[in-house]
Amino acid sequence: MMELEIELKKASDSLKAWDTTSISLTAGCDLFMRYVTRTSALEYEEFNSAKSRLIERAEKFGEISQKARRIIAMLSQDFIFDGCTILVHGFSRVVLEVLKTAVQNKKVFRVFCTEGRPDRSGLRLANELAKLDVPVKILIDSAVAYTMDEVDMVLVGADGVVESGGIINLMGTYQIALVAHSMNKPVYVAAESYKFARLYPLDQKDMAPALRPIDFGVPIPSKVEVETSARDYTPPQYLTLLFTDLGVLTPSVVSDELIQLYL
Amino acid sequence: MDPRRIPHAAIKPKVRQVGFVPRNAPPEPPARSQSYPAEASSPPLSDSPAGNSLSPVMIPPPRHLSDNLAAYRTPAVPVPETARRRAGHSPVVGSYDPAESLLGTSSPAPSPPSSGRLIVDGEFSEESWLLRRSNSAKFASSFPGGGFDLTAVKAVSAADLASDANVKKTTEKSKGSALELKNEAIPSSKPLKAKTTKSERRALQESQRAAKVAGRVEGNKSTAAASGRVTYAKAAKQPTQKKDVASAAPSVAASEKKGSDRAPEKDKKKDAPAPRMQFDDKSRVEKAKRRAVVNQTEARNRVELFRHLPQYEQGTQLPDLESKFFLHEPMHPAIYKVGLQYLAGDISGGNARCIAMLQAFQEAIKDYVTPTEKNLNRDLTAKISSYVSFYTECRPLSISMGNAIRFIKNRIAKLPLSLSESDAKTLLCSDIDRFINEKIIVADQVIVRHATTKIRDGDVLLTYGASCIVEMILLYAHEIGKQFRVVVIDSRPKLEGQSLLHRLIAKGLSCTYTHINAVSYIMHEVTGVFLGASSVLSNGTVYSRVGTASVAMVANAFRVPVIICCEAYKFHERVQLDSICFNELGTFWPLL
Repeated sequence: MMELEIELKKASDSLKAWDTTSISLTAGCDLFMRYVTRTSALEYEEFNSAKSRLIERAEKFGEISQKARRIIAMLSQDFIFDGCTILVHGFSRVVLEVLKTAVQNKKVFRVFCTEGRPDRSGLRLANELAKLDVPVKILIDSAVAYTMDEVDMVLVGADGVVESGGIINLMGTYQIALVAHSMNKPVYVAAESYKFARLYPLDQKDMAPALRPIDFGVPIPSKVEVETSARDYTPPQYLTLLFTDLGVLTPSVVSDELIQLYL
Repeated sequence: MDPRRIPHAAIKPKVRQVGFVPRNAPPEPPARSQSYPAEASSPPLSDSPAGNSLSPVMIPPPRHLSDNLAAYRTPAVPVPETARRRAGHSPVVGSYDPAESLLGTSSPAPSPPSSGRLIVDGEFSEESWLLRRSNSAKFASSFPGGGFDLTAVKAVSAADLASDANVKKTTEKSKGSALELKNEAIPSSKPLKAKTTKSERRALQESQRAAKVAGRVEGNKSTAAASGRVTYAKAAKQPTQKKDVASAAPSVAASEKKGSDRAPEKDKKKDAPAPRMQFDDKSRVEKAKRRAVVNQTEARNRVELFRHLPQYEQGTQLPDLESKFFLHEPMHPAIYKVGLQYLAGDISGGNARCIAMLQAFQEAIKDYVTPTEKNLNRDLTAKISSYVSFYTECRPLSISMGNAIRFIKNRIAKLPLSLSESDAKTLLCSDIDRFINEKIIVADQVIVRHATTKIRDGDVLLTYGASCIVEMILLYAHEIGKQFRVVVIDSRPKLEGQSLLHRLIAKGLSCTYTHINAVSYIMHEVTGVFLGASSVLSNGTVYSRVGTASVAMVANAFRVPVIICCEAYKFHERVQLDSICFNELGTFWPLL
């Protein structure tokens, strides 16, 4: 069993090394390891049954993760009411699932999509939503405050949920959350539980850097610096609720859930 | 003026022994009294003479009120009381026999001009002085406030006579009854004295109460004042009896007062006998006697806000402890030594105190021999409890110590009965070793490793006071090559930050040093605050050295992250909503 754990750790480390910046990957690997090995079966049963138990738990973990999106979509339906305007930032499959389910439930709503430079993830999302016949409006990132009056809620995904209850997400999320908070609009985060990470950033720079080159379309002089971080940290006080497969949580409860997940 | 000063000069050498007495001469009484007003937010001592405004925070005990008034109005009358009190004080204070009178005289020192006031204030200041001195390393957050509160209370009581007088009588009465109970348990000359006095007092009390009621009805203040004062004196006596079982004769009155004052207060608050009462160990009882409890009335006046907190002057205990070491059933020398170190303030800080205590327990356990016909578990637990009471008398237990004691008692209780005595002792000692290693040493290493990940190059880190774990973090981060500088915030009267500063500089860190009044000035250049804690409570509250909250609040205002470093064994399931409901009070001497 010890050998198995070592093997698992090696595999997980190599997976993590593939993309060191991905928080959800790291968190997912850690949680998987814990979930799989945290079973008393390992101590008592003979090898084959222990092995099958581990495999069973591993598959269960995969199922939970896949079903997570559906659970989240189901939980968030109560928050989308007819005639509402949702502001979405970045391309998150969980958010897409939420909106798809809302359409299936015959809700009438419209979506404001930020462009999401430099990824242009907003455009991708707009495409998907157009296929669902949802009225979509694309905003450039700077137009968020301008349109915040008409928005009823902000819905974002997360790359990672940290111990404080805050989230790490595409660059721009913090800005939008700040604007929404100052205008008293709720900010909802849709994130699976395997994204809960054991991190506690004290400020924006306190995370592993994830840089993505930005293409401005015109050449930039070499002595001009460009801020190429791809992620920012949104502190928990600007978030209203987190929709997770563990339930609808407030940011302060996240640390409790984290403890339960990791210990 | 002169008589007041002399006691101070005489007291000084003895006070110095204690360690937390200020090196420089204590300011003259007038200066001290003035400093009170300067520092107190509530009406200071200076107000008392004027019978000034009632601090909204203070709830004047009616008893004291009348006493104070009496003091005001009849300067002559208080004299005997003062003398009594002084006498009482001396033994209570400890071996300061000369100091006794000094204390007695010094007590009036800080008080304002009127002689009546003198007495009241004297007691007042005396008590607060004693209170302060009792706390070596840690000053409660209420530390300065406590003294001032007392002053305020006094002032208040002076101001509001009528209602107070009534209440006072009642409290005295209850104290009297409580006293009786306690007196039975206490063997010594005191009870004899007390009993006679008590019955006398009882009678007096009754008559006075009647008189008071009548007086109030008539609006006759002077009567009430006089009766109040008498009651005050009597009440003072009663409580002292309770607390100090066998103080020397002169100190009887004062010590009785102080002791019993505490006891009734505790009784009222906790609905349980004062800790001393639980002791059946003679040495502890003697130590309780030794405890120089300030004049009860004063204590009441002063500690209205802190009635629930144990207040005792440590300075006076040291000489007593030393002199009596060979008299009673001896403490184990290791225990005694550590207790003295607590008393003197040589060991301070949650971890240090806990480790010292545990190692002393180890020594005691190693030398322990189960008496015949006794069960090791129970007898050893009783012994440990007696040691713990001794430590509590030296200095209130820290939460880390409390948790460690609970662990030890748990281990003792879980000892398999089949074990031989030597095996049991070895097992216990190894358990203690394991506790120290796992919960303190290794925990510290984990904390240090984790915390240094939060330190980046170019950081400016602020710390307050001298927390051993924060020091470890800073030194380790420096060792692994991080470039940062440190701001050390310090505060009176202990100036603990200076020792931390010296150690950091010796290792080559670049440091800035300032006092807490400049923390908002310097906070703008700080990138992170690291604070130690005595404990973290279950609602997330951090219980730490007084001043920590201010530093944290300023940091929060500047949006600087505050990181608390605390080992998990110091966590406590209590919930505390403010700094006053549970705290450790110090003495005011070091402040002056």
